[in-house]
Amino acid sequence: MRTETNTPNPQGYAGRVVTKPPAWHDLVVLDVLFNNLTTGLFLVAAVGELAVPVVFTPVATWGYPLALLLLLIDLGFLVLDLGDKLRFHHMLRVFKPSSPMSLGTWCLTIYSLFLTAILAAELVVILGWLPGDAGLVWWLRKLAVIGGLPFAFGSAAYKGVLFSTTAQPGWKDARWLGAYLMNSALLLGAAELLTIAALMDEMRAVSLLRPAVGLLAVINLLPLGLLANDFYPLLANLHPRRERLATGFAIFLLGVAVPAGLLAISGGVVVALAVLVVLVLANLVVRHVIIRLPHHMGEASHRPCPPTGS
Amino acid sequence: MAIEELDVVRRPQAEDTSPHGWFVALLERLLVPIRRGKRPEPQPAHGFYTDTTVCIGCKACEVACKQWNQLPADGFEFTGDSYDNTGELSASSWRHVKFVEQFPTPEPISQLVPQSTPQRFSLEVLPTPAPVPQTQGQPDWGRWLMMSDVCKHCVAAPCQQACPTGAIIYNEFANVYIQPDICNGCTYCVAACPFGVITRSMTSGHARKCTLCYDRQKDGLMPACAKVCPTASIQFGPIDELRKRARKRVEELQAKGVTSAHVYGDAATETYTELHSFYLLVDRPEVYGLPEKPFNPWIHMMGDYLRTLLTGALTFAVLLAVFLLWSK
Repeated sequence: MRTETNTPNPQGYAGRVVTKPPAWHDLVVLDVLFNNLTTGLFLVAAVGELAVPVVFTPVATWGYPLALLLLLIDLGFLVLDLGDKLRFHHMLRVFKPSSPMSLGTWCLTIYSLFLTAILAAELVVILGWLPGDAGLVWWLRKLAVIGGLPFAFGSAAYKGVLFSTTAQPGWKDARWLGAYLMNSALLLGAAELLTIAALMDEMRAVSLLRPAVGLLAVINLLPLGLLANDFYPLLANLHPRRERLATGFAIFLLGVAVPAGLLAISGGVVVALAVLVVLVLANLVVRHVIIRLPHHMGEASHRPCPPTGS
Repeated sequence: MAIEELDVVRRPQAEDTSPHGWFVALLERLLVPIRRGKRPEPQPAHGFYTDTTVCIGCKACEVACKQWNQLPADGFEFTGDSYDNTGELSASSWRHVKFVEQFPTPEPISQLVPQSTPQRFSLEVLPTPAPVPQTQGQPDWGRWLMMSDVCKHCVAAPCQQACPTGAIIYNEFANVYIQPDICNGCTYCVAACPFGVITRSMTSGHARKCTLCYDRQKDGLMPACAKVCPTASIQFGPIDELRKRARKRVEELQAKGVTSAHVYGDAATETYTELHSFYLLVDRPEVYGLPEKPFNPWIHMMGDYLRTLLTGALTFAVLLAVFLLWSK
């Protein structure tokens, strides 16, 4: 006799997730984080150097090499994540701005060239081959900083749009993902620059970066809240309320309360490092949750899909 | 014929005694992907029309596809979906026959016996499990729904729009084709496909899917699956002709009382273009595992970029304000 236990479902394949999640796991989580770390650091250093050069130039001088190191690590994660790693250069085979990944690859490549040019100019000065405070090297460095700005901006901007321009459950409804990642990149960059300034004992830079980091940490709640609203139907289906509240509280604690609280107390090296560490942790947790969403939906694919915006 | 998947044992290369052998190999690896061949002359668009009402679920299409394209076996696992043990489209399964059993639930035996009949012994030996309630809209007679799923070869394919290497192209027959020597396995196409068609191969690391037997089409042959289908459920030909056949078949079925017959993917919708592999269905698309309203992710792209750029600009403004005002 047919009962619920042995009747094939007349609804067939209805209610299952049709799409397949891409093979993006922990490497991509780290890629998104390091992308934000490198672009944010460069953007904040560049803006600081151009706006208040007397204060920020000494700090930015060490910010750019760190940004290049973070970029190389990020590119390493991207290459390692490919199915055929020796074909990584095929990304530069075409320029296709309609594909966020193609646009991002080109932005990252040109951004890396400008960063390398800045480092070359700094190296020339450090080695004493040419003076750096005036003349050709100074102008080349400044032009490289200005030239790198739009490509660093593009490198930060494409990442979130790449995810939201897919058919994956969760990502396809994340209208504010690009905005959140862009805002986070600048927050992380300011925190990194604050740490460098504190280590170098550049107190004037520290005095400007402390309120900047505190303010950006609070402002970051806005795109994060809008993004959480985009994800809400899916998260409600996957995780119980208690788990969602606990994760949200942890993110708020690490991402806003602790950094703002520490910065209000002091601007020393230890505080700056602690602020950077908690911000990186909070952002890592958020990115892990975001990247894992389609995989969790695939695992729970026999549960009905929640209604979504599009 | 694709033989990439069989190349599991590296054949020994002839020894290259030239000291520049590695350099030439490196140059080839860098330059060959950039070279462009001569674009073939465009041909009339060809595709598939699948009439699911005559599919008998024989899976000859799956077998022919695997044989022609030399795709490896996927192992065997009972999925619980009737006779569907393929499970899904993948890098090694480019055809997937789906089975849906729709049968009414018979009445419990205790209700079949008239109440007036005297009973010496109770028939309720075991508790009667709850029967599956009759689904509204389902016919009270049983039926099978069988469908051979494949890549939809969309007119504006999100996978092609996503591909950053230019590996995914529209060939001269307006089919979506992945060039296996260009793909580097980034899997952005996998993320973009709203039908869950493409997967990355575990063997080669490249994305793979139905090619609509491009190699056979170039030689004037029909795809292997259409050739072998015993009931002509899978029909191959010029798209315009296939659309006419499909619409005529829908009229025939509706005249015979199959009012739920409709064609899926033959016409563009507000959110998606036409498909060059479309289906005649007799139930909701979701029952067949197809999205009811496919959505092209690129519709939202410009808005997402705008939100990102505005947020970036505003954040910059805040930073500048802090730097300039606090520094005074």
